[in-house]
Amino acid sequence: MDATEIPLKAPSVPTDVPTSNVEQIERALIDASTRVPVLMFYTSAIVWLLFGTLLAGFVSFKLHSPDWFSNVSFLTWGRVRPAHMNVMVYGWASMAGMGTAIWLMARLCRTVLRHPLLLVAGAGFWNFGVLLGVGGILVGDSTGYQWLEFPPYAAIVLFVAYSLIISWAVLMFRFRRGDQIYITQWYLLGAFLWFPWLYAAAQLMLFVVPVQGVMQAAVSWWFANNLLFLWFGAIGLGTAYYMIPKVIGRPVYSYHLATIGFWTYALFSSWTGMQRLVDGPFPAWMITASIAATILTIIPVATVGLNHHMTMQGYFPLMRYSPTLRFTVFGAISYTVFSALGVLISLRSVARYVNFTQASIAYSHLGLYAFFTMVIFGSMYYIVPRLVGREWRYASLIKLHFWASVYGIGLMILMLLAGGFLQGANMDNPSLAFSESTQTILPYLRGRSLSGVLLTVSHFVFAFHFGLMLFGLGRTSSVPTFLNPVETEGSEAHV
Amino acid sequence: MNEQTSPPDQRVRQGMDYGESEEVQEVHAAIQREKREPRVGLEPLSIWLIAVYGLAVFFGGAYLGRYSGNFSGDGLDPLGGPPPTKKAGGAQGEQQQAELTPHDRGKKIFAANCQTCHQANGLGVPGQYPPLAGSEFTTGGSRRPGMIVLKGLEGPVTVKGQKFGTAVMQPWDKTLTDQRIADVLTYERSEWGNNASPVTGEQIAALRKELANHPSSFTEPDLLGVPADAELPGGAPVGAAPPKPGAPPQPQSSPAS
Ligand code: HEC
Repeated sequence: MDATEIPLKAPSVPTDVPTSNVEQIERALIDASTRVPVLMFYTSAIVWLLFGTLLAGFVSFKLHSPDWFSNVSFLTWGRVRPAHMNVMVYGWASMAGMGTAIWLMARLCRTVLRHPLLLVAGAGFWNFGVLLGVGGILVGDSTGYQWLEFPPYAAIVLFVAYSLIISWAVLMFRFRRGDQIYITQWYLLGAFLWFPWLYAAAQLMLFVVPVQGVMQAAVSWWFANNLLFLWFGAIGLGTAYYMIPKVIGRPVYSYHLATIGFWTYALFSSWTGMQRLVDGPFPAWMITASIAATILTIIPVATVGLNHHMTMQGYFPLMRYSPTLRFTVFGAISYTVFSALGVLISLRSVARYVNFTQASIAYSHLGLYAFFTMVIFGSMYYIVPRLVGREWRYASLIKLHFWASVYGIGLMILMLLAGGFLQGANMDNPSLAFSESTQTILPYLRGRSLSGVLLTVSHFVFAFHFGLMLFGLGRTSSVPTFLNPVETEGSEAHV
Repeated sequence: MNEQTSPPDQRVRQGMDYGESEEVQEVHAAIQREKREPRVGLEPLSIWLIAVYGLAVFFGGAYLGRYSGNFSGDGLDPLGGPPPTKKAGGAQGEQQQAELTPHDRGKKIFAANCQTCHQANGLGVPGQYPPLAGSEFTTGGSRRPGMIVLKGLEGPVTVKGQKFGTAVMQPWDKTLTDQRIADVLTYERSEWGNNASPVTGEQIAALRKELANHPSSFTEPDLLGVPADAELPGGAPVGAAPPKPGAPPQPQSSPAS
């Protein structure tokens, strides 16, 4: 059950045969078995998304209007900001990602999910853990390590919940049928094993037997960066590897590229993290090793990017119609941009200006939102109709969701990057007081708040639409909800 | 914040309402129109991609080599710690030193070592620490102040008509190098309106050798045994008496020591 056991032999590619009745029935059975847990994961995730969005708006406004509620201790910046981050990371992104991963795993292993209610219990535990953790942060129990702010008592609950969830995913893999293991399964299995490794290692080295002094910062950044790569990145890439070929109905371009992309990703990503601490009090080689590993991630990124691009080649116009494809491809492209930016800002000469400024927040959002969240939205547009047996009600709402997200996240990243570079240049200038470096970026912070408004609209629209589906208010139709009216008959299947 | 919209069992029932009966005959349209599960093609690796790999490996390796700080456990400097930095930093430091005049260097040494007692204005503290400004010991020939600073001074002494003697002046020969003592002497002999000849490190070195087996601090009589205008040998004459080889202080101070 180890990731290294994934066989490397090339699967045979059967010639295209229409999907048989048996296959359809099998899928219907599988979807029925995953329905309750996956919807549970999705619903929870979306509620956390809304809550996290409100917290984010609050944090963003507080940065340029600090007097807001400054006399209420649990609404101070130092508590609301970690609360926002952890709600998004563990509440929204992890839960939504696990929901998608469970569905994909069941589909690809061609096995029904046994005892789905136990998975529901896992989701419930996870929710409880996040709730406990966020509560802990707000009352002042935060640990102070990036993305590990949940107090230890909440971390334990999360870990127990996770063990419950992962055993189901691994069990599905154990009972898989058919002799092919698809790329998506590599990534998902990898993610399911990497997450507990990262989380347990970080908890152990920071809280149980704490390492000395500055090395805590090293552990903390190693964890944060790798959570982005090996947990969210792996789930996101695995999902994109499924959705793109599935929707357009064409095989993934190359098995070889997929293999190289996967293994180099696994190899190099786990070395990264320290580049976020350039010029910190660490042996230079530690930081440089992380930078070199980040440079080497060009290999998996170029490989995966090329593989997706060649798969899409000639099918890009379908993004006009299919919500899934539109979100997923946007996410996949963002992944390339995210990684390229990651390489750029890891270099010492650039990091000097960028580290510890708003620009590193732009980087995190590029990964967690523009890439991961968009891919997950895409998968939800695909999966939810299959679970509830209804089609999405309004194409207009999907479009609004997409564009508000794209403009929102685009504006936010531009503002934070530009503001961050300016801030970094000012901090580097010894003739300017530190306070000036923060004051000059106020306009950018206001711009970021504006982007937050757009994202809030986008999330509430999506949540509303999802709610309609959940309560059986979607359309009953044999035709999927296209973003734009379809001119040709043939493309109808592409959703 | 409670995200369970409905209890699970209710959800199951809801699921059944979702348009699919237990009999699987009725398969939802989304599944009917669905494409096959994704498959994988076998296109070969493009030569360009291999070139990109090569570039990434080369660039990454070069970066690691250049900024590794020699992989030393305590080298914070990415450019390899000691050799390049020491040179750069050290040279810069020395240059800075060289740019300062002996007077400026002496000022720093004075601030660090002497100022607590003799005060920044060189006036000392009445009754405790004698003034250096206008002091006949400081501003005369360079031999007397050289002796005082190297070996210290104790016992009653009269400076500018005032009596001192409650405190002692420690010997500095163990703490300060020849060059530093020369610099601080140069400083105090030309500051606060004083106008006496500068002192060089070589002069102090010679004096240090001469006094090598003088065990204890000097007293006022020892000093008065040395002519007031006695210069240390080898100094640049400032119109003062030529440096006499003069008798070493030991014979004169023998009654005291
Ligand atoms: C602990 C306080 C103290 C410090 C520090 C000190 N002195 Fe003195 N210094 C004295 C005292 C006290 C006397 C008078 C000694 C006596 O009464 O016998 C004196 C006397 C002198 C004299 C002779 C009297 C005069 O006024 O000309 C000189 C020259 C002198 N000090 C120079 C220095 C220099 C140069 C330094 C720094 C390297 C220094 N002193 C540091 C306390 C100090």
